[in-house]
Amino acid sequence: MEQNDRILSVQDLHVKFDLRGRVLHAIRGVDLELYRGEVLAIVGESGSGKSVFTKSFMGLLDANGSITGGTMDYYPTPGGEPVRLSCLKGEKDWLRIRGREIAMVMQDPMTSLNPLKTIGEQIMEAVCLHQGLKGAAAREKALEYLRDVGIRDPEQRFRQYPHEFSGGMRQRVVIAIALACSPRILICDEPTTALDVTIQAQILQLLKQMRQKYHLTIVMITHDLGVVANIADRVAVMYAGDIVEIGTADEIYYDPRHPYTWALLSSMPQMGVKGQDLFNILGTPPNLFAEIRGDAFAPRNPQALKIDFVKRPPYFSVTPTHKAKTWLLDPRAPQVEPPAAVKLLRKEASVHDRTR
Amino acid sequence: MVQYLAKRIGRSILTLFVIVTLVFCLLRLMPVEGYFSNYEKMTPAQVQAGLQSMGLLDPLPVQVGRFWKNALQGDLGVSHIYKVNAPVTQILAQKLPISIQMGVCAMMLSLVLGIPLGLVMGRYKNHLPDKLGTAVIVLIQAVPAAVYFLYIQMYGTTALGVGLLFNAADWRYWVLPVCSMSLANLAFYAMWLRRYMVDESNKDYVRLARAKGVSETNISLHHVFRNAMVPLVQYIPSAFLNTVVGSIYIESLYSIPGMGGLLVTCVQRHDNTMVQGIVLLYACVGILGLFLGDLLMVLIDPRISFGKKEGGR
Repeated sequence: MEQNDRILSVQDLHVKFDLRGRVLHAIRGVDLELYRGEVLAIVGESGSGKSVFTKSFMGLLDANGSITGGTMDYYPTPGGEPVRLSCLKGEKDWLRIRGREIAMVMQDPMTSLNPLKTIGEQIMEAVCLHQGLKGAAAREKALEYLRDVGIRDPEQRFRQYPHEFSGGMRQRVVIAIALACSPRILICDEPTTALDVTIQAQILQLLKQMRQKYHLTIVMITHDLGVVANIADRVAVMYAGDIVEIGTADEIYYDPRHPYTWALLSSMPQMGVKGQDLFNILGTPPNLFAEIRGDAFAPRNPQALKIDFVKRPPYFSVTPTHKAKTWLLDPRAPQVEPPAAVKLLRKEASVHDRTR
Repeated sequence: MVQYLAKRIGRSILTLFVIVTLVFCLLRLMPVEGYFSNYEKMTPAQVQAGLQSMGLLDPLPVQVGRFWKNALQGDLGVSHIYKVNAPVTQILAQKLPISIQMGVCAMMLSLVLGIPLGLVMGRYKNHLPDKLGTAVIVLIQAVPAAVYFLYIQMYGTTALGVGLLFNAADWRYWVLPVCSMSLANLAFYAMWLRRYMVDESNKDYVRLARAKGVSETNISLHHVFRNAMVPLVQYIPSAFLNTVVGSIYIESLYSIPGMGGLLVTCVQRHDNTMVQGIVLLYACVGILGLFLGDLLMVLIDPRISFGKKEGGR
């Protein structure tokens, strides 16, 4: 993709939290280019820093957290002057970004709506705030968003309270609120985790439609690889506060290179073999209070190289769109075979290619 | 909704009936001195004759029946000691207005000051306004009321240039008792509103509002405040009515002819019919307070519906 197509550019970002005098290094030097109009999925286990990373785009880090290094530039228009998000300080600056430029859909629709305000009020609040509309015009616009997200009888539903909606419907309302901000980037923080499977598919479908209609760039945080396959153009794999591998969805699925990505894919339940235990990744994620030496995944990787414990790997490019931080990609590295499950995926892919 | 209200009111009336009947029966166990102003000088025969004429020797159920029949017609009997042969209702009618007026003023004051104080403290948690507010609240709650009531009287009367004895016709005499009465509720509202606001501030919908681009001040005012008021509103009517029925100490401090002193005097002097009347009034007030509290909750929170068990989380 072209350089001037990017909408967000993150360079060597560090985020630290101060927890009663101890410093937690939550984001450890992340680089990311987000391109206009794409759907980027960020996957990784709990505590890998997915949410913290995206919250830093909007200045929504908790009070004890801050960006301690690196830059984050937001490009409102193609090729235009960027806004340096990493330098924004104080509420006034952020209010120009939050909602209006970057909006968010949160995980739990049961709790993310104000229980005492009608759905209409809550959507209209965003419309009034970001689109400069008032009164009847704002109401009309809010109704339009309700219709967009597939809520029947919008006029009637407009006057109802969140408790009168089901979980899936509430998530639609939350999406309508995000759309009503008319953002360019939509961050979805595990938008389907709290929903049951049939509703999950509907919500993903809806997000796809809305992306088309409103030309959104979507960042989708998830630890559900099924969601990724369904919607993502590109996938970033996060581990211990760093993106260890990034590539197109196909590349990550069918040609993963980082041992952590291998482990993650192998642990999908679909990869299990009947009669055998499901694969699980040994050990626990590293302690982010301590300084991490070398590759953060090395202690949990049975095939780790010696250098993995000493020196942090840089990015090695596999293709122009695919790169991974692992010493295995160094020309001097020994040949390490990916696990059987990953090979299986690869074989499937080649079958696909032949039939295509 | 109408059905629920009818049910709720019906239950309140039943509660009232039980309480008052119970107190009526209990008072029958009191010594009979309480029915005569000059008991010491009477012969046993005279006492018997007196009791007979008042119907107090009748079987208890008959007495209860008669009491309720009269009470429903607005007759609570006559006082025998406090003011000989004056109807209880008349005595109450004299005392109640001043207590109500003073209670309304005190309640207004505590709401008008306490709610904004709590709001500001919740909005600026751990900052200067919060710390100052906390100091004030702790002072009010920790120091015995008797102590600062006295100080308010001592310095306040001098500052305002008023005498110690209450004079209802001059507004300046109202200031000190009303302020004193409002303090406890003021601290109560501020403290709990702050606490509920802090609780609410950590909820997901506040995060969503922030992500939407709503400013912190507007989040506090439009989102957090109303949610924080839900658990608080149910106490407001009770707090108000408790103020109305009198702050005994303040009334005696300023010699205000209100309800507070009346109950104490009547209980001490065993004026049984008066005690009965006052208990009826207090029970009404208490039950009304609870009822209004529930009603306010329903009005402010759409999740709490009348009757039907539905919605909500």
